[in-house]
Amino acid sequence: MSEQEMARTDPAPGAGGDSAPADTAAGIEARSPWTLAARRLLHDKVAMVCLVVIGLIVLLAVFAPLVADLTGHPPNQQYRKTGLSPAGLPVAPSGEFWLGTDSLGRDILVRIAYGARISLLVGVIATAITVAIGVVVGLAAGFLGGWVDTVLARLIDIILSVPFLLVAIALVSIIGGGLFNTVLVIGAFSWASVARIVRGQVLSLREREFVEASRSLAAGNARIMFVDILPNVLAQVIVYTTLLIPVVIVVQATLSFLGLGLPPPTADWGGMLSESQKYYTTSWWFVLFPGLALLVTTLAFNLFGDGVRDAFDPRTDRMMAAKGGD
Amino acid sequence: MSTEPLIKVRDARKLFPVKSGKLFGGQQDYVHAVDGVDLDVRPGETLGLVGETGCGKSTLARCITRLYDLTSGTIEFDGQDISTLSRKEMRPVRREIQMIFQDPYGSLNPRRRVGSIIGDPFAIHNIVSGRERRVRVQELMERVGLNPEHYNRFPAEFSGGQRQRIGVARALALRPKVLVCDEPVSALDVSIQAQVLNLLIDLQDDFGLTYVFISHDLSVVRHVSDRIAVMYLGKIVETAPSEMLFELPRHPYTRALLSALPVADPDLADSRERVVLAGDIPSPVHPPSGCRFHTRCPRAQEDCVQIVPPTEPVLGDPPEHATACLHPLAAGEQLAGNRPTISDTELDDTSLDDLSRGKEASGS
Repeated sequence: MSEQEMARTDPAPGAGGDSAPADTAAGIEARSPWTLAARRLLHDKVAMVCLVVIGLIVLLAVFAPLVADLTGHPPNQQYRKTGLSPAGLPVAPSGEFWLGTDSLGRDILVRIAYGARISLLVGVIATAITVAIGVVVGLAAGFLGGWVDTVLARLIDIILSVPFLLVAIALVSIIGGGLFNTVLVIGAFSWASVARIVRGQVLSLREREFVEASRSLAAGNARIMFVDILPNVLAQVIVYTTLLIPVVIVVQATLSFLGLGLPPPTADWGGMLSESQKYYTTSWWFVLFPGLALLVTTLAFNLFGDGVRDAFDPRTDRMMAAKGGD
Repeated sequence: MSTEPLIKVRDARKLFPVKSGKLFGGQQDYVHAVDGVDLDVRPGETLGLVGETGCGKSTLARCITRLYDLTSGTIEFDGQDISTLSRKEMRPVRREIQMIFQDPYGSLNPRRRVGSIIGDPFAIHNIVSGRERRVRVQELMERVGLNPEHYNRFPAEFSGGQRQRIGVARALALRPKVLVCDEPVSALDVSIQAQVLNLLIDLQDDFGLTYVFISHDLSVVRHVSDRIAVMYLGKIVETAPSEMLFELPRHPYTRALLSALPVADPDLADSRERVVLAGDIPSPVHPPSGCRFHTRCPRAQEDCVQIVPPTEPVLGDPPEHATACLHPLAAGEQLAGNRPTISDTELDDTSLDDLSRGKEASGS
């Protein structure tokens, strides 16, 4: 501490208005906390591998029609003659069907590619909604305090105490499956954990002097919340967001698995796993590949999220983070 | 110096409610942070405000800048009572009264670039934007002795002294009339303190600023102040022009504070009488009755427990030297001993007097 203080000297003595030496100034790059975190992330091999995997899955989703063209099999086309064995069972992976077929003789590879679209879409959109609501609620509760905080904090407690999956199942069976409803239900019930994290941070940040400084400059509540406080909670929010995406993907798959997802012909991973249940003894590919797709995707997002957390907070290493839990 | 004061504080009180230990009922307790302060700040002067930690200096500063709302009393700025203005009505006033904070680390947002921190006042008051704002910010940086090329850096890349300069630049951006400096140098190394103090003195000359300068360090206050007010437990006990206070302290508390100042001459230091006050500063939740200092005062007598001493010139002092003491020190008189003359035992039953008078405190 003292050595550092001594090493740094003020550029200009207070008595004069002489400007500081400009020699080193231009050469030193202004490194933001974001740049530093990004740089640490780039050096994290596991996180980078996961990023590549995520990129590949995104490509698979984006170019799903291309996969269909390449194999010549549209996702919902049933190949009753070539895609099913004489006994009516799915056929194993071959030159015709690279990852085999399902119980209706459809190409599993093509359906996995189309399923990736659903998973990623729901994962990203529902997470975005969740985080947006959570951040605004958390900021408002933590910063405004008073009755706003009382109401919002109780609401957070209530939502966190609700068994999410059961309510989601009940709700989806009432309002119907569809992509929109799934996103809505997930968004409506997972913002509370984000809000709680943000609120906790804001409670300590609002007492900092830089908030008083803004206040003394006549900054309004909205400006203080979004310009002064938000950048200070963003790191935690980003970490939480990357870890939330795989959770949402799994929830969506779970709903589909339980038959509450998208209506039947649509290809999605949860639905495929559900259909494959009866065939796992005879057709291993039917259960393996959709399951693998789900596993690899969530694993990649999770490990990448860990990397992001380490990058923002280099003091906690992975072991510590795992022990501490979320 | 008989001009109309720029800031007039009258009977200012700030009470903070404290949680009582009892679950139900019980009397709501308050911390009497500022308890009946009268204070004038004249245009162009530096008013030093000194006192021990916890005596209410910073609270008073935050009341003057309206970061806290007064519980009762008034604060006039330029003839206008600002203590009850709404947030919207305060906007133009905030351009005139700015604040420099104690902690050069906490007072700058770690996630924002210095240029945008100093540019905040321009953004909030919609004064200049874009390129022009950048030019203005860089002018300010240069004026306070920072390298304008460091515009894009983050606060973490600066030393404590440089950070305090950033805070000064931000406070100066709107060309305020008054700067309230809340212990602006107490977090800095001694060598850096002088640089920042000299910067503040220079800026005062250049911009005709009025300072309210808060510190617990008497030598710092002496260096910058025209007048000094000594605060003890939420009240001002003595106000005097700077040199007069040092040469002719009337209040025993002032005398005790002065005796704690280090003296450069070792011979003088040895011969000097030092008054080390006995005991701690009493709780501001139940401040002592009468004169608040009587529990620690070596000169206290029976009447000190009962009577709240008026703040007025004593023993033929000029009108600008006011003391709140029933038994002030005569010129050159030393404090006899350091033991309080009133025993501690009779305190507690009398200390609730102020509570009954305490009006409702507003949550902050």
